[in-house]
Amino acid sequence: MIRVWIFLLLLIGATDFAWGLPADGGSREQVSILHLPSDPISFQPGPGSDLANRYCLICHSAEYVYMQPPHSREQWMEIVNKMQTTFGCPISDEDMAPLSDYLVTQNSLQPSPSAPPVQSDEQKKEIAGRSPNHSGDPLKGESLYKRHCLTCHGPGGKGDGPIGQALIPPAANLTLLGKQSDKTVLETLRNGRPGTAMPSWKNDLNALELNHLLSFLRTLTP
Amino acid sequence: MNGEKPGIDRRHLLKGSLALGLASFLTPRGLSANDSSTATLPFERGRRPLIAFPQKRPLMVMTTRPPQLETPFHIFNEDIFTPNDAFFVRWHLANIPQTIDVNTFRLTIRGRVNQTLSLSLQELQTQFDQVEIAAVCQCAGNSRGFFQPRVPGGQWGNGAMGNANWKGIRLRDLLHRAGIETDAVQVRFDGLDQPVAQATPDFRKSLSLEDALHEEVLVAHSMNGEALPMLNGFPLRLVVPGWYATYWVKMLADIEVLNQADQNFWTTRAYRLPADPCHCMKPGEDLTDTVPIGKMPVRSFITNMEDGRSIPGGAPYTIKGIAFDQGYGIDRVLFSVDGGQQWQSARLGKDFGDFSFRLWEAPFTPEPGKTYSLQSLAINRIGESQRFSARWNPSGYLRNVVETVKIHAT
Ligand code: HEC
Ligand code: HEC
Repeated sequence: MIRVWIFLLLLIGATDFAWGLPADGGSREQVSILHLPSDPISFQPGPGSDLANRYCLICHSAEYVYMQPPHSREQWMEIVNKMQTTFGCPISDEDMAPLSDYLVTQNSLQPSPSAPPVQSDEQKKEIAGRSPNHSGDPLKGESLYKRHCLTCHGPGGKGDGPIGQALIPPAANLTLLGKQSDKTVLETLRNGRPGTAMPSWKNDLNALELNHLLSFLRTLTP
Repeated sequence: MNGEKPGIDRRHLLKGSLALGLASFLTPRGLSANDSSTATLPFERGRRPLIAFPQKRPLMVMTTRPPQLETPFHIFNEDIFTPNDAFFVRWHLANIPQTIDVNTFRLTIRGRVNQTLSLSLQELQTQFDQVEIAAVCQCAGNSRGFFQPRVPGGQWGNGAMGNANWKGIRLRDLLHRAGIETDAVQVRFDGLDQPVAQATPDFRKSLSLEDALHEEVLVAHSMNGEALPMLNGFPLRLVVPGWYATYWVKMLADIEVLNQADQNFWTTRAYRLPADPCHCMKPGEDLTDTVPIGKMPVRSFITNMEDGRSIPGGAPYTIKGIAFDQGYGIDRVLFSVDGGQQWQSARLGKDFGDFSFRLWEAPFTPEPGKTYSLQSLAINRIGESQRFSARWNPSGYLRNVVETVKIHAT
């Protein structure tokens, strides 16, 4: 990649402090001129690169494509579609498929651990709003608790973890959960307490794990 | 993070030698066809050339047209105020004015006002209170490259942010001079940048009238005591302390008071978050309800140790970092060397105001042969803390998870 760029910054009569008034109070010609570099890279030759050169360099440089994380063909179709419908890229509908094929050759998604995780049936049920049954394993719950909750709620759940009392409000004493229903506690775990340090766990722990935690929390209550 | 300093001196292009009527042609020093210096962000396709754009030292080039430049992270360890020539750059549309004539430039205030105003830069500087505020400007997509699974959009590391002393005029003073009509509900801001294709929506952003009237919202003309660099919005930019930079409209030229909610694309369809209180969701879930992005959640970083580094053990170190939030101010920063099992209080540095970076430091003596996971956790004055697990949303916004820097002592 050869880059021979010349940048010019041309300032006629620019003053030290912005466009502040000239000391003599007179007027002077003050124009700031910005010369930006031209594109450093172009699309690599290959089947469909003519389409990319025609359509994808109108509004921005090819770096927009090459900086992306690897995307699947569907994702590239979606992006091209967004360029057409949202931003007005003048690409014809027939050209969209061959262009997406080309983009995949440039920057595609290898099957990798970063692929979106597939939802378990349990999670789907959860999303559909069905209430989970209280079927957790307190031992599994304890290890989850140690990993995720101990810093704030402390080893015995009293809210005395290393940072528990530094928070406003402080981390709750979980040995006092006795009167709360399973549903209420799970609600708190799922959604957290907005405006406090209590996080929402619904994206990090699935319904099964939340049930394990609940079972463990029940062992803390006398 | 704390790598070598760039081999290029900081240049003050607006300063000094530019005599009256003299045209100066400047080529960046230290860069030529065979200069291939790059920096690599720790994610796939994270390689970035380091190039000096006008009025900038070499920065990490994410895209050239329109320019999107990231501040190399070690710069945050050098000064609490990010130097203008190192400040990140982010434009949406490539049609950026190549010239600004400071004599003919006008800022217009119009719409639901008693009297349309058209103000020259000279009038702005002489007829209104000049106020100054230290505030963090952070791109909504800062740290997007760290989302897992990855998401489309600008692939920033952690350097799409900066802290500066902004000076200018209170927006509310301008609005009150124009006289706000009683049916006003929002204020819309437009800069001089334009789309390349007519069909692309022009970049404009709106604030509710209530937010626009906050006393800390400025129309700024200077940054760290100098004129704004062209690429940071010369001659005027909106400064909305505590809010993500998408609202900080650059090359601001038009302020329009609206009597109904702004319907433009960049306000209604871009920069949206999942509506639930966490503003997060599971990958693969459908995004239905959304809300506009607004203020920044609390964050902190270690600035003088980079991930993966080996250091000699047995000697005392001072770990340094920064913290900031949306303007409640930082109450405390906690520091851990064991991945969050145990925490100690870090010592906070001088307070430059609630919207500024706050420096912190903590002592640390590593034992030879051991590996450490350094973490910092900032808590603001209303008790909000950083997250312990990263949130995910499809546009890659609002990352504020506790970051981990793994180091090994030899
Ligand atoms: C009519 C103008 C226009 C054309 C033509 C265009 N784009 Fe874009 N593109 C944009 C705009 C505007 C953005 C958003 C810029 C921003 O937010 O920084 C964008 C952003 C992107 C992004 C970043 C991811 C995202 O979703 O924001 C990718 C990737 C991209 N374009 C790919 C393409 C490809 C591939 C083509 C060729 C089919 C193309 N663009 C043609 C205007 C255009
Ligand atoms: C970053 C600190 C933090 C972490 C981590 C944390 N919590 Fe909390 N939690 C809090 C705070 C603070 C409150 C109190 C909120 C309030 O007063 O409204 C709380 C409240 C709760 C409550 C409600 C108690 C009540 O009285 O209603 C439950 C249940 C709970 N947490 C469980 C957990 C579990 C289980 C975990 C781990 C999966 C966890 N928390 C992790 C800070 C935390």
